[in-house]
Amino acid sequence: MTKLFQKKEFGIGLIVILLALILSVVNPVFFTAENILDVLKANSVLGILAVGMTLIIITGGIDVSVAAVTAAVTVVIGKLAVAMHGNSWSILAIFIVAPLVGACFGFVNGILIAKTKIPPIVTSLGTMSILSGITLYVTNGEYMNSSMLPASFIQFSNFKIAGVSILIIIFLLTVLITWFVMKYLAIGRSILSFGGNPVSAMRVGINLTKVQIFVYTYMGFLAGIAAIVQTAYTKGVDPNGFAGFELTVIAAVVLGGANILGGSGSMLGSFLGVLLLGIMQNGLILAKINTFWQEIIVGAIILLAVSYDMIKRKREERSLAKVEVEG
Amino acid sequence: MKLSKEWMLGLIFLGLFIIMAVCVPGFIDPYNLTSMLYQLPELGILSLGMMVVILTAGIDLSITYLAALSGVVMAYALTAGLPVPVAMIAGIIAALIGGLLNGFFVAFIGVSPILVTLGTMTLFKGIILLITKGNSVSGFPDSYSFIGNGDILGIPFPIIVFAVIALLAWYLLNKTVWGRSVYMAGNNPIATLFSGVNTKKVIMYVYLFSALMAAIAAIIMTSRYNSAKVDLGSSYQLQSIAVAVLGGTSISGGYGKVIGVIFGTAIFQVLSSGLNLLGVPGMVINILIGVVLIAVLLINFFTAKYKHNQLKKAT
Repeated sequence: MTKLFQKKEFGIGLIVILLALILSVVNPVFFTAENILDVLKANSVLGILAVGMTLIIITGGIDVSVAAVTAAVTVVIGKLAVAMHGNSWSILAIFIVAPLVGACFGFVNGILIAKTKIPPIVTSLGTMSILSGITLYVTNGEYMNSSMLPASFIQFSNFKIAGVSILIIIFLLTVLITWFVMKYLAIGRSILSFGGNPVSAMRVGINLTKVQIFVYTYMGFLAGIAAIVQTAYTKGVDPNGFAGFELTVIAAVVLGGANILGGSGSMLGSFLGVLLLGIMQNGLILAKINTFWQEIIVGAIILLAVSYDMIKRKREERSLAKVEVEG
Repeated sequence: MKLSKEWMLGLIFLGLFIIMAVCVPGFIDPYNLTSMLYQLPELGILSLGMMVVILTAGIDLSITYLAALSGVVMAYALTAGLPVPVAMIAGIIAALIGGLLNGFFVAFIGVSPILVTLGTMTLFKGIILLITKGNSVSGFPDSYSFIGNGDILGIPFPIIVFAVIALLAWYLLNKTVWGRSVYMAGNNPIATLFSGVNTKKVIMYVYLFSALMAAIAAIIMTSRYNSAKVDLGSSYQLQSIAVAVLGGTSISGGYGKVIGVIFGTAIFQVLSSGLNLLGVPGMVINILIGVVLIAVLLINFFTAKYKHNQLKKAT
């Protein structure tokens, strides 16, 4: 039990539970299965992207091009659907092409960052600018509605297993699979060790270049999946739909306790971070708070959460230093 | 003959300017040249603010929303009938309060700058939306429009402001104790602290400086557009980082020069207005700016590698 309290995720978990309790008192609608599933469904895209971003942040990197990559892939999905209109294989094509295209974009980021050692924030800023420019140029910023999408894709987006939307299941599977990779596979352990102490990681023989290329490619792959989920959720393609979304993704991961300087971060934490942002937005709507207040509250919570985390970390460091002196 | 990174950039700018002048009809038209001088200072001033933050290994994602906040405050003060200087001071104070908030969380709590400014960015955006309800505020007195649209002896007023600000920034960074401490804090914060510099105070002033730059850019922008709203200058958010980096500022802190930022801004301006004249759509210009950013960084990387190899051979 004490172990549970010491866990890093405990703090944010507690905030999520408290918030949920308050909201269910304010508006009983909150605690219905339907509403909770709605929250999860609406935040599936954020969740999937946050999973990839967690790995990148653990390695001490950052990817501000995620939103641009996701938007680009949704456009690819739209174009593919139009090109293969009426073809029954088109849904399969979408499922193969979207993650692949995303992974390719991620791979370019990975190669640039790993091989040239240009800081990740600058590299991904450049690729973001290029990609979002191409996306807007190709589409002219025009929205595509559901009539363009194949009927089988619409069926897929409405598909439910035991009452749970397929989109939520994809999100949860992403979290679970990545958790498994991080915990049990060699590459997952390398990511963690590389983030913790790059010098010793290299001495142990972990290939830094490989790890970096892997995390950015994986991020791109997940952006491809997120693009499928987004297209299914909105049943349309909006090339402008992701402007500024990269910062929300980063916020969710950091709220989940990942250290922006690298070395720490967890699937559970990021999942809770996504939930916190999702519940807050849903709760503010249910509590009938003016939408203009929402951004202020989200901003204030980000500031409070990261400051709390920093103060706690400093205190821990100080107590550790004391032990060292006394010992 | 050895050229520094910045003067190399100056040569690139000159080359680009000549290419544009030869290839693009109407580029060296006096009308086009002056209109470039009217457009360039906004991005230039914001980029100077961004550069000083980056020197301390920080980043200010909230800079354009600080500008929008201060612009909206000025706009309300002006439409309420307050005199122009009072309105400008109100706007500057609003920005400085925002900068104080950034500086407090970064310097005194020690949260990483990208997170603080991510949070304050959302916060400022929310505050602006709450005040304006998403509408734009317009209708300023004629005397106010001089700042963004007027000229002195034919020289556009905004470029004069930019020149003064750039000189001031150069002076502050190179000739004052604070300026030297900024570079030191970016290079090695712990050694700087141990050598008796109050790094917290230095960093606090860095964020106040970027807030001041945001306010000045906001004055020019609101005057030029004759309105203010939540997305005032929002496209400059990442562009100002790109300009600073293009101008040779090291994103990990400790190195960067005012002249580099000026050349960086000029390259951006020449590229976008030249291509604009050729009828290239705005999105393609965005693509090219991304390409230029990555290309310059790759060139830097390969020249550094080449020099390293030469050194190895020599020893």
